[in-house]
Amino acid sequence: MAALFSPHSNVVARRVVVLAVLAVVGIPLLLMWWVRTPYVTGQGHTVAQPIPLFSHQIHVTGLQIDCRYCHYAVERAATAGMPSSETCIPCHSQVWRTGPFFAPVRASLTSKAPIPWQRINRLPDYVFFNHAIHVNKGVGCETCHGRVDQMAQIRQAVPLTMSWCLDCHNQPERYLRPVDQVTVMGWHPSQGSQLSQGRELKRRYHVRELTTCTACHR
Amino acid sequence: MTHWRSLEELAGSAEFREALAHEFPPGADEPASGMSRRSFVQLLGASIALSGLGGCLERPRERILPYVSNPPELTPGLAQYYATSMVLGGYATGLLVESHAGRPTKVEGNPDHPASLGAAGVFEQASVLQLYDPHRARRPRRASKELSWPEFTSAVSPAKLRRYVGDRGAGLHFLLEPTSSPFVGDLLVRLRALYPAVGIHFYGPLTSPMLTAAGTMAFGRALQPVYDFRSADVVLALDADFLASMPFHLRYAHDFAERRRITGPSDPMNRLYAAEPVFSPTGSLADHRLRTTGTSISEVAWLVLAELVQNHGLSPEGMPAGMRSLLGTVETDDGRLRWSRAVAADLAAHRGRSVVIAGERQPVEVQVIAHLLNSALGNWGKTVRYIDSPFAAPGNDGGGLGPLMDASAAGQVTTLAVLEGNPCYNAPADLDFSSRFSKLYLTLYLGLYENETAAEAKMFIPALHYLESWGDARAYDGTASLVQPLISPLYGGRTPADVLLAFLGEPDAQVHQQLRQFWQQRVASADFEHFWDTALQRGVLPDTSAPSVTPTLKWNGLDQLLTRSPAGRPPANEPAVELVFLPDPKVYDGTFAGSPWLQELPHPITKLTWDNAAMLSPGTAARIGVGSGDMLLLEADRRTLRVPALIVPGHADDSIALNLGYGRWADGEPVARGVGFNAYRLLPSMRYILPAVSATQALHSGIPRRHDLAVTQTHWAMEGRPLVLQAALEDYRHHPDFTRGDKGRTLSLYEPHKYTGNQWAMVIDQSLCTGCGGCVVACQAENNIPVVGKEGVLNSREMHWLRIDRYFSGPADDPEVVAQPMLCQHCEKAPCEYVCPVSATKHSPDGLNEMVYNRCVGTRFCSNNCPYKVRRFNWFDYNAEVSETEAMAKNPDVTVRARGVMEKCSFCVQRIRASEIEAQIAGHPVRDGQFTTACAQACPTKAIIFGSFADPDSAVAHAAAEPRAYAVLHELGTEPRVRYLARITNPNQALEDQHGV
Repeated sequence: MAALFSPHSNVVARRVVVLAVLAVVGIPLLLMWWVRTPYVTGQGHTVAQPIPLFSHQIHVTGLQIDCRYCHYAVERAATAGMPSSETCIPCHSQVWRTGPFFAPVRASLTSKAPIPWQRINRLPDYVFFNHAIHVNKGVGCETCHGRVDQMAQIRQAVPLTMSWCLDCHNQPERYLRPVDQVTVMGWHPSQGSQLSQGRELKRRYHVRELTTCTACHR
Repeated sequence: MTHWRSLEELAGSAEFREALAHEFPPGADEPASGMSRRSFVQLLGASIALSGLGGCLERPRERILPYVSNPPELTPGLAQYYATSMVLGGYATGLLVESHAGRPTKVEGNPDHPASLGAAGVFEQASVLQLYDPHRARRPRRASKELSWPEFTSAVSPAKLRRYVGDRGAGLHFLLEPTSSPFVGDLLVRLRALYPAVGIHFYGPLTSPMLTAAGTMAFGRALQPVYDFRSADVVLALDADFLASMPFHLRYAHDFAERRRITGPSDPMNRLYAAEPVFSPTGSLADHRLRTTGTSISEVAWLVLAELVQNHGLSPEGMPAGMRSLLGTVETDDGRLRWSRAVAADLAAHRGRSVVIAGERQPVEVQVIAHLLNSALGNWGKTVRYIDSPFAAPGNDGGGLGPLMDASAAGQVTTLAVLEGNPCYNAPADLDFSSRFSKLYLTLYLGLYENETAAEAKMFIPALHYLESWGDARAYDGTASLVQPLISPLYGGRTPADVLLAFLGEPDAQVHQQLRQFWQQRVASADFEHFWDTALQRGVLPDTSAPSVTPTLKWNGLDQLLTRSPAGRPPANEPAVELVFLPDPKVYDGTFAGSPWLQELPHPITKLTWDNAAMLSPGTAARIGVGSGDMLLLEADRRTLRVPALIVPGHADDSIALNLGYGRWADGEPVARGVGFNAYRLLPSMRYILPAVSATQALHSGIPRRHDLAVTQTHWAMEGRPLVLQAALEDYRHHPDFTRGDKGRTLSLYEPHKYTGNQWAMVIDQSLCTGCGGCVVACQAENNIPVVGKEGVLNSREMHWLRIDRYFSGPADDPEVVAQPMLCQHCEKAPCEYVCPVSATKHSPDGLNEMVYNRCVGTRFCSNNCPYKVRRFNWFDYNAEVSETEAMAKNPDVTVRARGVMEKCSFCVQRIRASEIEAQIAGHPVRDGQFTTACAQACPTKAIIFGSFADPDSAVAHAAAEPRAYAVLHELGTEPRVRYLARITNPNQALEDQHGV
């Protein structure tokens, strides 16, 4: 009677065992890598906005408007605050008030309906981020939002994953800057290294390395 | 002293021991019954969809909608607080309401308002959910046809209406809830000027007619007493639940607690005597509680008065000498007599520093004797002052439902406008209101819901919630405050003032403008704008408290009342059972029966949820032959009611008590419909106690003999360990360290945590906790806690982060009771933290036991290992069925938890972090008292103290340093951050050996 399994089947069996072990280890690793890819985190993503031609680059670099002119609540509230339709008017009653790209603002003002901006930097509902405490402790807008002054179309600059948050929460000195410089784009410490100045600012502002769960999850 | 939590536990029944052995009862993880095949297929489909990881691929898209123009007063992300007032039973309670971007989310008490002093009760807390109730009425109608507001106003305009009711308004009647609103009072006066013959009637089922009647009888004027418990050393409560349910109870509880609170063994303490048939929160705090029927309270009152007059030489002002003999000494060896004598002696020793308070449900004679007692004790002008009733009484009739029904029987009512209330449901049974109402020619009803009255009314107008409307009202002491809207009407609607203005022929008048004008005419202020803005901001109109009136007793007529001495009465040997009607501590008179939060709030004493029941003593139950859950058949005046029995330790024998407000049947309120049993079917006019009813076990065929009562009482029982410590004041003075075995550091194998910064902690004073439940509802509102329904409670799935355990001690028929708020103890050596396989529960450097929902995988190991049983598991997605409007009531600072995660008290960590951020930005440390937890904020007696142990001068550190502080289950070495102060009582030595009657 011929053997039920050919000698070749030993090779197959070994390969299957090895593959199974690799799969058990590899698939979770793959998934863990995958959720950290920009595809999932949204880093670098842009979304079509209701005013397609609105450019942060022009307003920040070209016109030198401070972030807080529009994002007015950033020093006081959890949210940075989005500009009301009326915020545009002081300038745009003088310039570019008739073009088709300004039409959504005009429509909003006549119909009293808000402009439906699309959210770019989205945190899950179980994360409670507070803008006010960050800018009051010397975390620059740029640190999380990137070089907004170079973005013709706004995009998510950083991964916004928990490990990314913890980078700074573990070592705030690597990112701190003087409070009066938070809105400056492309800021560099004028003297000394970031680390030496960061340590000094951390002491001066009483910045804590806040990594306890309820600092963000409530 | 051994404490027991329920009769089953005391008896040590096999069932109870079986139930104890399980963490959750069998079947707790089974889905709610009544699952249709359709929903099963839906679930199946959902799980298939989940298995495909469909949700991971799509990044959710969110929009940001900025304002078109920024409201100057509002910064998105920062909560605002507005002062307003909520009216209940006609009286206002001042509130501060938290609002997030224009939607009110949380109600707190207004510290400047005399009826609140910063506290908020269960009804105030839960009112915010009622605002968002999706079942509120939205459509004005005539019969079933749409009725626009202009159509309505033209139909009731004087020009049209005069054709039916003539120039004098004969046949035109209004029925309102008793109102203290000066503005509405003025509109009613104007209405009477327009229609001199108009009938204006007031009815609120819980607004006792006894107060007014007693005032008229004793003083010839409807005076009402206002008590000052801050100056009272001795208090006698005659069936008066002044700490939890009477008007002004938040203030009374605050003042009483001021004299109850001790900070060390040498402090003095007030003393409370309570005589009552039903265990009330007030009775649970009493140093001596006399368990006696509601009908015999008058005897107790009479005995105390007789004792004062005969043996202590204290007579009420101007008492004729002849009357003194009416109060002859009664020679009976009755426990009641001994109790009354001891109380009288104690009261006599504290003349001018005592209070005698009679419960609203007690008949006129008890109210009058209470007035006489306060007069004899010299309390007038010291602890008791009298004021004119703040209720509006336009004109001279001031009739209630009785005169209205008489007029209707005589055919003198053609048009009846019912402005709020719900008389078709809650009118006394003997008046037959509902059928009379439906036969009237023209009936109008203004109400929040399409309820029982709306169903009978020919015209219906939806009402506005108080958080949507303008108005004013007075507190029990007469202080006026404004009602201002926090949100524009969600479903449309009108206030009673709108309707009255329509009848006055001013349909276009705005209530806001009219209200301003009304006060402008009455305020002698040069700068009215400033006055108005200040009044709105503070929530109180300054100096409007009612002036004190010096009363004079009118003795003619009182002799008859005093003659009815106990000695002259026939001995009550016949086995009659009395029936006492009570306001419900959860749904009031039925107004809040549609509130799921309140339906699921456990009753302070019985811990019953989603029901009411006939409460009776173990002895009476044995005599009738029923147990808890058996259906009783009650019969009075040829009307019957089937209701389940519920045995309550400490209830008076021969007395059955029923909470009003249940057994609703209107389709418009689906939450309330069919919950509990309608006690109004037996309620008589002008009385709250029926002296004799027949009570038998309901044994008719075809009717269920038993009813499942969802009682939270025996869940999570703690196996008889000494959890509540208590001592008499004298013993505490001699042994201040009696809790030493239950506190201090314990040996541990675990590494201590590294603590930095503030160390959050809580101290709960069990001498002050009445068990009212205000903290439970406050916690529910603040922390987005879901409700689980009656079936969920029966399966022990209730989600309350904070529960109030209630322990009985002593004999089953006449025990003492202690309330113990139980919440996450934030143990420094937390058993839950060691067993979590995914580190979803961790310890923070500031001493919090943190719960991270997004990490939790639902093993429930933590709950198993928690000795306090304070962790709650989301068996189902309770928020899936929340309507769009109810979702608006959620606190945006707290995660709404999903199915399959554990949750528990977080010490209101969202408030902690918000305060830290505020303080850090301002550049100062978090100050003691800068904020507090929701439960501590709501507590009327301030029994809960929250703060940081890191600050040695904080209130919480001082309280924890008190000798009587201890930790529950200290021997386990969990080192909890919640400390309890042992309950201290102040018993009278003369009564020490006697325990009840």
